[in-house]
Amino acid sequence: MPKVTYIEHNGAEHEIDLPDGWTLMQGATLNGIDGIEGECGGSCGCATCHVYVDEAFLSKLDAPSENEEEMLECTVSPRESNSRLGCQIKVTDALDGIVVRMPEAQS
Amino acid sequence: MFRFDPYSPEFDADPFPAYKTLRDEHPCYWSEEAGMWVYSRYADIVTALNDWQTYSSAKGNLVDELPNRAGNTLGTTDPPRHDRLRALIQKAVTKRALDHIVEPCRTACQTHLDALAGRSSFDFVNDYSSNVTVDLLFYLFNLPKEGQQTVRDKAVLMVQTDPKTRQKAPEHIAAYEWMANYAAELVAERKNNPGDDLMSNFITAEIDGEKLKDREVQLTVTTLIMAGIESLSGFMSVFALNLADHADARRRLAADPSLIPDAMEESLRYNTSAQRFKRCLQRDVEIHGQQMKAGDFIMLAYGAANRDERQFENPDVYDIDRKPKGHLGFGGGVHACLGTAIARLACKVAFEELLARYPAFERVEETLPWVPSSNFRSPMRLELSVG
Repeated sequence: MPKVTYIEHNGAEHEIDLPDGWTLMQGATLNGIDGIEGECGGSCGCATCHVYVDEAFLSKLDAPSENEEEMLECTVSPRESNSRLGCQIKVTDALDGIVVRMPEAQS
Repeated sequence: MFRFDPYSPEFDADPFPAYKTLRDEHPCYWSEEAGMWVYSRYADIVTALNDWQTYSSAKGNLVDELPNRAGNTLGTTDPPRHDRLRALIQKAVTKRALDHIVEPCRTACQTHLDALAGRSSFDFVNDYSSNVTVDLLFYLFNLPKEGQQTVRDKAVLMVQTDPKTRQKAPEHIAAYEWMANYAAELVAERKNNPGDDLMSNFITAEIDGEKLKDREVQLTVTTLIMAGIESLSGFMSVFALNLADHADARRRLAADPSLIPDAMEESLRYNTSAQRFKRCLQRDVEIHGQQMKAGDFIMLAYGAANRDERQFENPDVYDIDRKPKGHLGFGGGVHACLGTAIARLACKVAFEELLARYPAFERVEETLPWVPSSNFRSPMRLELSVG
């Protein structure tokens, strides 16, 4: 199972093993990590699973869809060049070890 | 010998023991009655929702699908077209785009509560929640005021299935066709006189330079009306039932309305009205010792997943302090309910107003009549005593 490291805004780190094909949003919400909300259930409809992806992994991700681009304009914390929505990133072996940081606020 | 019959009224009255047997002993179960496989464990359902390539919605998402609907609505279209369609509506229904519905919704709640003055009991479903959701939907779509009651009656009927024949009965299909015609007339009217309402924007939209198909627009609008009226009212009814059955929770909410959202999320986990939806396998899949074939249908029992002890501790306890993130009360993945923000906002307002007026209420009937539906579970009637 691919491993994901979540770093909360206060610096707290969580290492989580995620089943192949599950999303970064699910890994956080299902393991009690508070910095991600995922209100819409993973349909790219609320921008409350905003994460900053470690630069080393950015190039391994598919570019955001048009819909994700639109929702990224709606994040509460500032959008940076490495901002993504956690519900749109499915974890696979190619992303094993990925590190994501949580923003100060989601809503 | 265990049998799982999602059509039996006994099962609707209390599906949770059967769900537990499914999860523990038959996590991939072939239901003769439904003619499809049943997933009941949280992890299996999340995996299916994530993998739309394998678990397609294009052959229909209702357990008993309505004629000509599959492939013509958001919920019955797979990506990438689904994503393009959804993007046309999504922005209008995000939380921050919905501030404008709060006051109309609150006014509707107050009007329908005012009408109950002096009564010692009332029917939450028919006297309150369905009236509020009809008003709200008519506001959102800017619909002509006449015929509100008929639209609601048809919305309630079209989600039902005959429990004996295990099929849509002629009156259910007739209600659906009535609604599709109602939508078609609205669409035609908005095409001629587009406003800046949600429906006009959808009708005039294009994907890849092409107008949406008429049938697609009509049936998507039909589904949005059904969901906006019947699914939202069902969600509120189940929440009211939980507060009637859990007096401590109700007292805490009445004393501190800021707890309403947490209690609502727990309702979505505990007994969501959206109990079961359907997918179609696009390849052979082997799971839990069962060999399923491409083309087989699978029922995803969200109501069972939400009670999975592998995911939620003490799942059979209604605990408003739980904050159950990741519940499947609105489904999940690309097809997660489009109206989550509307539903949460409207339900919050409806219960702020209800509890301000009636901080104490109790169930009158021990046994409830449940809407006969293979997808949804909510009471047809919920008499509450407030005197």
